[in-house]
Amino acid sequence: MNEKRNAVVTIALIASILLVFTVADLIQGDRLFSEAENRVLASRPKFSVEALLQGSYTKNYETYATDQFVSRDKWIAIKTYTDIALCKEEINGVYLGKGGYLIEQHLPEDYPEELVEEKLGMLKKLVERWDAQVMLVPTADNILRERMPAYAPYYDQTVLLGRVEEEIGSENYIDAYAALTEHAQEPIYYRTDHHWTSLGAYYGYLAWAQSRKDRTSQDKKAGQSEEAGRYGAERLATAAEGFLGTLHSKVNIKTGTDTIRYFPETLDRPLKVTYDLKEIRDSCYEESHLDTKNKYGFFLDDNHALVEINTDYHNGKTLFVIKDSYANCFVPLLIPYYERIYIMDLRYFNGRLFSFMESREPEDGMDVLVLYNCIHFLEGFRYLQ
Amino acid sequence: MVFSSVIFLFRFFPFFFLLYYLVPGRVKNLVLFLGSLFFYAWGEPVYVLLMLFSTMVDYTHGRLLERFRGKAAAKGILLSSVIINLFVLCFFKYADFLVQTVNSLTGFSLPLLDLPLPIGISFYTFQTMSYTIDVYRGEAKVQRNLLDFGVFVTMFPQLIAGPIVKYRDVEERLHRRSVTLTDISAGLQRFCVGMAKKVLLANNMGELWTFVSAKDFGELGMLTAWLGIIAFGFQIYFDFSGYSDMAIGMGRMLGFGFPENFNYPYISASVTEFWRRWHISLGSWFREYVYIPLGGNRKGLPRQLFNILVVWMLTGIWHGAGWNFLLWGLWFALALMLEKLFLGKVLAWLPRAAGILYTLCVSIGGWVLFALETPEGILGYFKAMAGMAGGVLDSTFLYLGRQNAALLLIAVAASTPLPHMLGEKLKNSRTGAGMALYSLGGKIIPAALLLLSIAGIVEASYNPFLYFRF
Repeated sequence: MNEKRNAVVTIALIASILLVFTVADLIQGDRLFSEAENRVLASRPKFSVEALLQGSYTKNYETYATDQFVSRDKWIAIKTYTDIALCKEEINGVYLGKGGYLIEQHLPEDYPEELVEEKLGMLKKLVERWDAQVMLVPTADNILRERMPAYAPYYDQTVLLGRVEEEIGSENYIDAYAALTEHAQEPIYYRTDHHWTSLGAYYGYLAWAQSRKDRTSQDKKAGQSEEAGRYGAERLATAAEGFLGTLHSKVNIKTGTDTIRYFPETLDRPLKVTYDLKEIRDSCYEESHLDTKNKYGFFLDDNHALVEINTDYHNGKTLFVIKDSYANCFVPLLIPYYERIYIMDLRYFNGRLFSFMESREPEDGMDVLVLYNCIHFLEGFRYLQ
Repeated sequence: MVFSSVIFLFRFFPFFFLLYYLVPGRVKNLVLFLGSLFFYAWGEPVYVLLMLFSTMVDYTHGRLLERFRGKAAAKGILLSSVIINLFVLCFFKYADFLVQTVNSLTGFSLPLLDLPLPIGISFYTFQTMSYTIDVYRGEAKVQRNLLDFGVFVTMFPQLIAGPIVKYRDVEERLHRRSVTLTDISAGLQRFCVGMAKKVLLANNMGELWTFVSAKDFGELGMLTAWLGIIAFGFQIYFDFSGYSDMAIGMGRMLGFGFPENFNYPYISASVTEFWRRWHISLGSWFREYVYIPLGGNRKGLPRQLFNILVVWMLTGIWHGAGWNFLLWGLWFALALMLEKLFLGKVLAWLPRAAGILYTLCVSIGGWVLFALETPEGILGYFKAMAGMAGGVLDSTFLYLGRQNAALLLIAVAASTPLPHMLGEKLKNSRTGAGMALYSLGGKIIPAALLLLSIAGIVEASYNPFLYFRF
């Protein structure tokens, strides 16, 4: 009798878990997008006999059922907390760093020698043709070493940077690595996002300004203090709080939030910002993003193939920036130096780069800046000549 | 369809079992047969026809054997069945392997067939062959009911990853079986434990192995190399035995008693013992239908050694059409032969712990052959394990060790009989508290494991199906 009662309770418990979630899953509607994961979820596949026979229908249906499963976000959280309970310090490609820092994982074996060679070759060609300045920004794993889990593997970007400097010559190389390392204790990277903060970008800017001075004058010390005076870290203004970035999306655990900041001095004079040749705005900041999850989109309206900024500093100078999203919070700091700035994201541009640049180049030439983080550089720097 | 999926757990499983329990006795086999066809066709919409073809072939041969029992023709009928079964298996599984081997030996460039391997073909072919052979030998009665026979071949719990059920194991139950509440409850518990082994242990161990095996073996530290392949050994054990647990559990829920397939292989004190504890249903299949017919151990030592060699080469190649699997079989054949010759006596004299250590080393070495497919990969990995690649200790080991220490401890404990013994101790404690704890744990633990497994399945970052080559 006791055995029978035990059996009934066991069956009721396990069967109810399966049945409750089956019913709940069947009655709930589909979601298009997962805010938590920051991605479009799979939708119900279209049935066709052909797709069924090829096996693609059932395969897509499984992806759909898994993506749309009831309380998906909560299940993922359970999985994550189980991993944490088992002392894991890496979830879904993200290190759980000390001090609440989430740090993206980049493993050395993902960046083989051939890839580095290929990118260096392309970079060298660009520098030789345009006398471009190059600033490759190390990612947080290389700078926030003290915050990384013990012995955590990472792709050491100093080797890459050393080779870049060697290939293009130090007069064209801007050393962001040294600039950031010096300030590793300050909030130069977001805790929940893979980008550097405006403060990090500011230290990058100081390195940029220094290198610019080095090229034009010998009086280094005077230059540094003048540039440092233009912006002040203590004057950073808050655009929005409660920012949970892309790394948070990957792990989805309770963490502190980040604050989006900017330098108010960048708003001193009127601007005309043209996105992809059509949308015209009067600011390089897009406040509409501050109400969404992707608050970093505040800077230069997220991703565009081409942005053109016309400033009120009529010095006749033009800058052409080839970049990834790290540049978005950096470029506004360069506004007082140029009358016109072109910003190109090669991921969204399919034309011939050099002829496009020639079409935009004024008669007396223009400055060219290449700005990527090291990983995006290896993964996304490519162009047709 | 695989068990560790949303589709199986929250569509197939509840609807199938509800229907199965609701319909009256004689209809149950029809529900089971159609359900199993749906289950298989979900992953193999075309090859389901091949499975039905195999079913028909052996059904017909069984009937013919009955008709020509005792006559000369019977032998021919058996031969015909074996040839058709092996031809189908070889054609789909080994044709390209043969073509590639011929090409590389002769320099020809014969075209490959490029056929995907039908899932589970090695399992169900072995099941149908066991039927015809047993009928020929008079060890099983012929099955005249096509539906009952179809249920035997296609039954979804053991269809795609075993255990390999012999016909006579389930003969009775195919047409008369009953299910008690205790069967359902114990079946569900077993299912949950199996699911947890697969999703919580095997998948995590698999991630560890994937991490290590993605590294350049030329720079791999010795300890990292050992950690990686040990993780693979845990992955395949928990994956495979987890699948068997789920199959056995669901079999019980249907009223079948499937044979056990794993019995704590990693506590074996000799390789001979290991193969009595690892994938038992395959080992017993080969013993019964190959090793003993070849003469087993009854025709003198040289013949026995030869038989071992043949059986373990077949066992190796059964796991996949590749030279590394053949090598894997030979590796065990070598150990088994040495044990027959003298090592067995030495091991019996040594303390059991030494035997366990030796057996673990043999199986771990075997997993290198099993997991890596190229000669360079295998040699490179052995070199790293010997400390001749990236030294002894590297930071990767310190990192992985820290991250996985808790998981490894759980894996070690779960691959020994300790948890089971603990349960038994509580059950037999005769104290109120102990028995209450046992009864409570029997309910809470499977339910909790199921919930954690669901989380792992929904997250689904790493959830491979390992038997697509079997």
